[in-house]
Amino acid sequence: MRLVLTGLRAWLVQRVSAVYLLAFILFFIGRLLVAPPQDFVSWRAWVAQPAVAVAMLAAFAALLFHAWVGLRDVMLDYVKPIALRAPALALVAGALIGIGLWMLRLLSALE
Amino acid sequence: MRMSIFRFNPERDAKPYMQDYEIEPAPGDAMLLDLILRVRERDDTLALRKSCREGVCGSDAMNINGRNGLACITPIRALGKRVVLRPLPSFPVIRDLIVDMTEFFKQYRSIKPYVVDDGPMPEKERVQSPAQRERLDGLYECILCACCTSQCPSYWWNPDKFVGPAGLLQAYRFIADSRDRDMQARLDDLNDVYRLFRCRTIMNCTEVCPKSLAPSRAIEKIRLLLAGRSL
Repeated sequence: MRLVLTGLRAWLVQRVSAVYLLAFILFFIGRLLVAPPQDFVSWRAWVAQPAVAVAMLAAFAALLFHAWVGLRDVMLDYVKPIALRAPALALVAGALIGIGLWMLRLLSALE
Repeated sequence: MRMSIFRFNPERDAKPYMQDYEIEPAPGDAMLLDLILRVRERDDTLALRKSCREGVCGSDAMNINGRNGLACITPIRALGKRVVLRPLPSFPVIRDLIVDMTEFFKQYRSIKPYVVDDGPMPEKERVQSPAQRERLDGLYECILCACCTSQCPSYWWNPDKFVGPAGLLQAYRFIADSRDRDMQARLDDLNDVYRLFRCRTIMNCTEVCPKSLAPSRAIEKIRLLLAGRSL
């Protein structure tokens, strides 16, 4: 599988991740409204459930891919000089990977 | 009524400017183009393209009160007391309302706007059923006036790499043609970061098309074909 997100592939990633994020956000907000965790311990226990942790991890993965395709699109349109665009893209990629690793660390520290 | 017209003569003017004309429609004047020609009777330095004066040639595309359209099929009574005319946005100005469409036609040529069939020549004409012919409705009517492409922000940022709505409508016109044998190569050609996928579904193209065509729908159909093919 090619890892390069271009053309149709990037477009599909953006749409699929958007649909998943919408579903996850509705589920997340719904859960908080219906049964708000009373304290940190119960919140932590809820997030630590394997199904919730996996869904949350998937949501962050979707968010990162979605942000990457979207921000890259903005830069392809507005940041024309390659000497400026390459570092800008590297910065965005670095920040997104950082957020991903941080999230992974938080979730893996739970149990 | 007051007409405010964009003026620029590169041989004389350092900068473009807007020139105002007070003009009243004469009896029989129905369309904006009639008024513009009246202005030109008074000031023959005003330059514009026009030809068929009935919305078929696509020469007099311009920006009318902020919105692209053909002057020859824009009714005077649909306009207000003040009309602002500018050349097509983002296209290089040659003079006054005349723009350089080189890049636009370069993009159009890049999608191979002709039936490709490398097979043996048929004895008679290439036959098409009425149903197959019907699939070209809403596609073949494009007159290449560039109203859509010039109003597309994605094209503004990447006129050299993004095909633009007019070109993509024509790309789909040949993809949908039953006589064409080049669909896979046509789809391959459009499947990169720029040529098709710079479209952000802004849909100005469909909004302004003076022939009421829908380039955004054609773009969507190409996307669906690409998606269906990759499954």
